[in-house]
Amino acid sequence: MTQQPTKPTRFTFKTLVLLLIPIILLVGVIVLFLSTGGGLDLQSAAPVEELSIERYTLERNEIELHVRNTGPDEINVAQVVINEAIMPFTITPNTNIPRLGRALIHINYPWTYGEAYAINIFTSNAIGFGVEIPVAFETPQPSAATFWGFTLIGLYVGVIPVFLGIFWFPALRTLGRRTMTFLMAATAGLLIFLGLDTLAEALEFAAEVPSAFQGIGLIGIGAVATFLLLDAISKRQTEITGGESERRLAIALMIAIGIGFHNLGEGLAIGAAYNVGEIALGTFLVVGFIIQNITEGLGIIAPVLRDRPSIGRLALMGLIGGAPAIIGAWIGGYTPSPFLAVLFLAIGTGAIFEVVYEIAKLIQKDAVRESTPMTVFSGVVTGMLLLWVTGLLIK
Amino acid sequence: MQNKLSRRDFLKAGGLTLLGAVGANAISHAASDSGTGNSKVLAAPAMQHDDHDGVMPNTVGEVDHEKNGFNPTDILTDFDYGEVSTLPNGQTLREYEIVALNKNIEVVPGIEYPAWTYNGRIPGPTIRATEGDHIRIHFSNGSNHPHTMHFHGFHPGAMDGIPGSGPGGNVLPGESFVYEFDADPFGLHLYHCHSFPLARHIAKGLYGAFIVDPKVGRPPVDHEFIMVMSGFDVDFDDANDFYGVNAIPFHFQNHPIQIKVGETVRIYLVNILEFDLINSFHLHANFFQYYPTGTSLIPSEFTDTIIQGQAQRGILEFTYRYPGMYMFHAHVTEFAELGWNGMFEVTQ
Repeated sequence: MTQQPTKPTRFTFKTLVLLLIPIILLVGVIVLFLSTGGGLDLQSAAPVEELSIERYTLERNEIELHVRNTGPDEINVAQVVINEAIMPFTITPNTNIPRLGRALIHINYPWTYGEAYAINIFTSNAIGFGVEIPVAFETPQPSAATFWGFTLIGLYVGVIPVFLGIFWFPALRTLGRRTMTFLMAATAGLLIFLGLDTLAEALEFAAEVPSAFQGIGLIGIGAVATFLLLDAISKRQTEITGGESERRLAIALMIAIGIGFHNLGEGLAIGAAYNVGEIALGTFLVVGFIIQNITEGLGIIAPVLRDRPSIGRLALMGLIGGAPAIIGAWIGGYTPSPFLAVLFLAIGTGAIFEVVYEIAKLIQKDAVRESTPMTVFSGVVTGMLLLWVTGLLIK
Repeated sequence: MQNKLSRRDFLKAGGLTLLGAVGANAISHAASDSGTGNSKVLAAPAMQHDDHDGVMPNTVGEVDHEKNGFNPTDILTDFDYGEVSTLPNGQTLREYEIVALNKNIEVVPGIEYPAWTYNGRIPGPTIRATEGDHIRIHFSNGSNHPHTMHFHGFHPGAMDGIPGSGPGGNVLPGESFVYEFDADPFGLHLYHCHSFPLARHIAKGLYGAFIVDPKVGRPPVDHEFIMVMSGFDVDFDDANDFYGVNAIPFHFQNHPIQIKVGETVRIYLVNILEFDLINSFHLHANFFQYYPTGTSLIPSEFTDTIIQGQAQRGILEFTYRYPGMYMFHAHVTEFAELGWNGMFEVTQ
């Protein structure tokens, strides 16, 4: 009997050639297409142009527009019209903006505090690209005062509510196993709600990202990569330590990280909102927000209620969950970028749903000892309803 | 940029109240710090920006007049009296060659507009004759759309240049037609294309002034200028993006019209602006005699501002008393800031 020899998998010259053949053919096809037009009439009647106004900044008597050419061809900026007046402008580095190139348009304009401005940038092909300044006011420059202001916002919307939630720890420790399962399930419910909200925010920002950067695809990459990475880390941790309480602590930490990304996204939105002057009034809304975000702190401590984590550990997790709101506010306030916002929110989405998955596994483990399907059901629904109802208060 | 309501909105709101307070505080501090030497700064509200001296709307750069084939300044005084001869009956005959052409015109610096023109310029040639002269227009269509020439004035229906009026009402690409009529009545008139869709055919540049001088003539003046008010809808949304006199926005702001103190000035002003209901003319630091449609030798009004609807026109006469730079512009100020603004530079 002849034994089938196992072929050694070696990378030979032949393999290389075989790999290259389709690529060479591809190049040939592209060249052929470009030289002949592939038999299609690709002459468009009007040039396809796209100019993204990524950001504007207002200074005393000055308006600056940060623009990016996100169209297929180069663009020439010809004229700028502000509120139905053609305004002289300067543009750096050049009126000619290559594909994906950026430029800074500077206009001396006596804008008035609190008023609205519509700006139209005409390219040499007479295509206008508009940007609206809904409420004009001086763009905050990095200064001690605005820095502290953004920090304060982050504290109020991120850190304080999360810590308030964590303060429930001593009280909740005294609860029975079934109640704890309920709390865990409620946490999962909260997170599912937050995850959906984060995803919705990401989709919203994705619409502002220049189409060339494919915002939706970016969400997919950020969310899926984060989910799988956290999953891998969690599995590796289980292999190394294996301890039940260690594992619960790790999950609490991951919840903190997920919520941290969520709050980073919120911080970005606040900072960006401040930059474009989307100022609505009502301090009671802050109150409502603190009420809603207390649940985030609750979510962090839920998995470790039956353990005795040190106060330092709890404080650290509170910071991880809440402090990114401050960082987000800084970034959003000084260099708002829809691209970054989408990326962070996508990471947050992935992280939050991975944590839901981890909590589900924990509850599953408990269920081996005592099956409590109705507790899980009511917990998850309670968690989701909690955010929905507190949301009603503040919309 | 519209409001996107989300869970985040309320936190923006709340957070911003806080930040707003902090920020306002910081700014008022900054103002009092920097304003030590200037009490005015302290007196002004911290966020009020009203020191905008010297900022004025304008285009960036200069259009290529040579490539355009016309210069608005030259058009001011470019009166076309035609090829003059005498008919057997003793009547003066004025003959003109006019061709409709597609032409890219740089209407504002950096933007070329696919215009339709008479003789490659906007406005078309200013046809000038004397009351009772016989006008013969050899019109040929060198573009790829049907066009016509429709004159305001007395003429037979076949010469009206509108669809349905015979061969002159629809001159196809490559074809030609001779419009013939007597110059009557005296006054300031205009001509334009009357093909469908009319608004587009006019807005794209097919218009010009038609002056019929009275037999007795008008009193002599030092300067006669033709000004045709129009606009350009460069993005084809049936709303004008740019406005001007003799086509190019801000041309006379950047190239003031030179006159001297005491000189008499006569302006033939025609409004052919599409899409907007009215246009207007306002003269600074002066008043003018106004002759609507120019059909009377007695002015109807002594004023500094007049309004014209589309195809309305009139003659203005004035003299400057003092030297200086004087604006003239549409007192529809939106038009002024979108290009319809000019200057007279009056010297001793």
